[in-house]
Amino acid sequence: MSASAVFVLDLKGKVLICRNYKGDVDMSEIDHFFTLLMQQEEDGLISPVMSHGNVHFLWIKHNNLYLVATTNKNSNASLVYAFLYKLVEVFTEYFKELEEESIQDNFVVVYELLDELMDFGFPQTTDSKILQEYITQQGQKLEVAKTKVPTTVTNAVSWRSEGIRYKKNEVFIDVIESINVLVNANGSVMSSDIVGCIRLKTMLSGMPELRLGLNDRVLFALTGRDKGKTVVMEDVKFHQCVRLSRFESDRTISFIPPDGESELMSYRINTHVKPLIWIESVIEKFSHSRVEIMVKAKGQFKKQSVANNVEIRVPVPSDADSPKFKTSTGHAKYVPEKNLVVWSIKSFPGGKEFLMRAHFGLPSVENDELEGKPPITVKFEIPYFPVSGIQVRYMKIIEKSGYQALPWVRYITQSGDYQLRTNS
Amino acid sequence: MPYFGSEETVKELKRALSNPNVQADRLRYKSYITKVIRYMTQGLDVSALFMDMVKASATVDIVQKKLVYLYMCTYASDKPDLALLAINTLRKDCADPNPMVRGLALRNMCNFRMPGMTEYIEQPIVAGLRDKASYVRRVAVLGCAKMHSLQPRTEIDGSLVNELYALLRDPDPVVVVNCLRALEDILKDEGGVVINKPIAHHLLNRLKDLDCWAQSEVLTFLLRYRPRNDDELFDILSLLDPFLQSSQSHVAISTLRLFLHLAAAHPAVQADALLCSSAPLLATCGAASRELRFAGLCHIQQVMRSQPALFNTHYKRFFCGYSEPSYIKFRKMEILVALVNDENVALVLEEMKSYCTDVSAELAQAAIAAIGRIGRTYSEKCLDILTGLLALKQDHITSAVIQTFRDLVWFCPQCTAAVCLTVESCVDYPQDSEGKQALLWLLGEHADQISSAPYLLEVYIDGLKTELSAALKMEILTAALKMFLRRPAETQDMLGRLLHYCIEEESDMCVRDRALLYYRLLQRGIEETRKVVTGPKSDPSLSVLTSAQEEPVSQWVSIFNTLGPLSAADLQLHNTALSASEHTDDTADTELLTEHVPVSMRDVSEAGVSLCAGAAVSPEAFEQMWQQLEVLQRQTVCFSGCAADTLQSALQPVHIQTLAFSPARALPWRAYIYSRGSGTLVLAELLQDDPEMLTVTIKQQPEHQQTVTAFISVLQSVLQTLNTGQMSV
Repeated sequence: MSASAVFVLDLKGKVLICRNYKGDVDMSEIDHFFTLLMQQEEDGLISPVMSHGNVHFLWIKHNNLYLVATTNKNSNASLVYAFLYKLVEVFTEYFKELEEESIQDNFVVVYELLDELMDFGFPQTTDSKILQEYITQQGQKLEVAKTKVPTTVTNAVSWRSEGIRYKKNEVFIDVIESINVLVNANGSVMSSDIVGCIRLKTMLSGMPELRLGLNDRVLFALTGRDKGKTVVMEDVKFHQCVRLSRFESDRTISFIPPDGESELMSYRINTHVKPLIWIESVIEKFSHSRVEIMVKAKGQFKKQSVANNVEIRVPVPSDADSPKFKTSTGHAKYVPEKNLVVWSIKSFPGGKEFLMRAHFGLPSVENDELEGKPPITVKFEIPYFPVSGIQVRYMKIIEKSGYQALPWVRYITQSGDYQLRTNS
Repeated sequence: MPYFGSEETVKELKRALSNPNVQADRLRYKSYITKVIRYMTQGLDVSALFMDMVKASATVDIVQKKLVYLYMCTYASDKPDLALLAINTLRKDCADPNPMVRGLALRNMCNFRMPGMTEYIEQPIVAGLRDKASYVRRVAVLGCAKMHSLQPRTEIDGSLVNELYALLRDPDPVVVVNCLRALEDILKDEGGVVINKPIAHHLLNRLKDLDCWAQSEVLTFLLRYRPRNDDELFDILSLLDPFLQSSQSHVAISTLRLFLHLAAAHPAVQADALLCSSAPLLATCGAASRELRFAGLCHIQQVMRSQPALFNTHYKRFFCGYSEPSYIKFRKMEILVALVNDENVALVLEEMKSYCTDVSAELAQAAIAAIGRIGRTYSEKCLDILTGLLALKQDHITSAVIQTFRDLVWFCPQCTAAVCLTVESCVDYPQDSEGKQALLWLLGEHADQISSAPYLLEVYIDGLKTELSAALKMEILTAALKMFLRRPAETQDMLGRLLHYCIEEESDMCVRDRALLYYRLLQRGIEETRKVVTGPKSDPSLSVLTSAQEEPVSQWVSIFNTLGPLSAADLQLHNTALSASEHTDDTADTELLTEHVPVSMRDVSEAGVSLCAGAAVSPEAFEQMWQQLEVLQRQTVCFSGCAADTLQSALQPVHIQTLAFSPARALPWRAYIYSRGSGTLVLAELLQDDPEMLTVTIKQQPEHQQTVTAFISVLQSVLQTLNTGQMSV
């Protein structure tokens, strides 16, 4: 892998903080990064890999920051990107929000983290749970006592410390499914799929062994059981704690969980799902005078369920003015900086249909710039409803002290990348 | 960034740090140290405080220690003499009872990048390698590599290397991987760390304990290992199997590369592995991070070079999202073009059509070019879309459509009539140079089918004085001449004006020369001119060449999972651009042909088994072998004969040596040639007893059919080019 140095830059290309790991690439090379980036931006051909001489820059952008790794070797690109995203993840867990201000306010911790995350260009300890055990944010306080190496740094089970105690042993299981939909301008569904993940909040003592049972079709086929609804999962990915070999051989999901919150697994289901909230839109643009928008939203899910916090974002021309709205429910708001009308509906019962009309004025002098045709996007969440029909059948918890522990399960379906193209 | 008042700031800090009152108050002392680091981070030169900072390192507060160490590492190379003062403190910390402090001190001591450090750090490193805390061992192992990089030219310490090899068995997984990394760096000149059977098996067994970074790297190191036999190979492959589906895309891709590499002799296993990893690769293309998505797409393109059909059913995954950056959209479009088949063509085209009106002109043009490439197979549907786009009257779209039309006409002649009709009825013509060139080519080449062609051309000839681009002027000349040959009555006058202007007033040498060339050609007579200027109107065979062909896995596996696939960006786009600019010229520039020849020959020799010249064979040895060996193959080739030295110089670049030949014009004429490849020697006799035919007799030792096939194909292509060369002469 070997990254020579890692830089954090602000939007103007100023280095906020950097760490020279190998010393084989001149640190001033970073000055070329921003020039190259600007040049590519002008040509409209940005690329996440850029080269200057024999130095390669691999970069990502997060909020108002650029994170850049330099290398002069033919490194494994996806590994470097994964590491940069790991940096983002760790920093975010420390500072809640990773942005210019949080880097400046916490530069001591950032230095400490950069030091532990990587040495001589090679990733070292990257698990933020473990890092949090010996790099704390209360850096301003004097701590003399807490400097021992946590056992986890060298533990066999690297993601869980020994000696964790809880009065009440519980584990909370959240099954969250996001639905991705792309609908064409003429109303045909171009693609749709479901991306799900199972999150755990573990509050268990000791070193418990957990086993999770799902209504997985492959498992049911293996065990010869064929009653009830099953799901076919694809691209199943697990937290490192899950024993992959056991899943390979008999589809058992068994693991020692990390303490606290973690994402146990994610999967994708490729079945064709009906878009849960269907949008029909008519956007009429009368040049030099006005734009009239009519949006009809229909809940295509069970009557018993309710979609919460629905937000329908309809694009409008950037030079539109004097908005007027009429809605059959909820309220609409014009967000001029994003060229959007946001129609929010607090609760949207299944089977119902709502309507919004909007009217905008257009200036008589037309905008020369060509504008894209952004799609309508929809955000929503439907609690207590797994759209794919996935079910947690059991969660067995075994610990050598033999305590009784309670599993709690919660399902939620939400919008992922939910886009409906318009023809205006 | 030295800014006003920086000296004052440093002075003030110095005063504060040396103030005994501040030193006594730990919190205040630390806050001043933090301030120093803050200024350092902002780019202020605070190296003047070095002495005060060294003093501050003697503390029990570990965060303060870290900050001071960071400071010292930053300025050590500027102040080597002062840095030496800090070494004592650091060495004392290396013996601290707290492993955290020991590790920290050792790591930072190794980070002092200044000459002469080796003697101070060697002993602590060796002690660190045997430390009971794995945290310290991790640091010490990488310390070895750092020490080596400080003095890269010194002799490698054999005992240290042995110790590192022994630490490959360390219980801590990170120590194991760090050992590999360190050894790789230290032994770089000797080819890196040696992976023998015990080490390889040990690493394979430990693989599941490692974190994802380490897994990726170990898998890359394992590329060096060659299993002894098939049993061992399959044991290894079954151990690796679960990692093909790893949740980390970089681990999955590394595993795939190792799989393909190990199973090089088992194409069926390779195909299975590709099938198996298609799911994780696809999943990467839907990754939340766009850079990973991009890397995934690039790797999918590589895989598709061998298995074009692998992702056919998943074509919808490559539809572009509105907010995706254009580098992802470009890749997705390329993949979509490759995935088109009878079932999905309608949907893909509908999707592509929506990209053609993208705000980004580059993207829109690429989408139009992509439709053009699909049009080589599904011409009717694509022509409808392209014609529809012309109605939008957007300059960049019109230009791209006309360019695409030109390519389409060239690759599939059956589109010609439709394209000509569209161009005829087109009201809006391209404004940029490339678009104009494409239009001119169409007008010149198909003047007989576009009735308004002369009037369109006249506009360009009239505007010649204000035209800047030389390439466009050349294109106008060629188009005018071609049109003259087809429709003389309407064109004669303007051609005369054009030639007159270009010869008398044009300042660009190339344009003037071209005009003069045409003028002299016309003086030789119309028929003569026609023979030179008009070439084939299309070349459908080219489209077969440019469309995807299945390549063996070995073609791309060596760059798989490196920066290679990512930086090969826009490869295909460039190719089409290249082919477009080439074929517009080649009707006029027949002299270019000779330049093309070596390229094509090199391609042939690289494609199959490569030939090499190797050591020369003496005539006696040749004769002896020729008599002993059986005839392996005999073949006749069309060949009208050529000078012996021409043959010799043509065969040399493809690594075929000429031993002897009979004098020119002798009949029968003979030549003896030989070459080596895949460890065998190929001997051949070329016998010409008929003026048009050449008999090739091949013998080989030891026998190896593939080399013979490669040899014959190379030889044939050389003889063919010699033939055509002679005809054109």
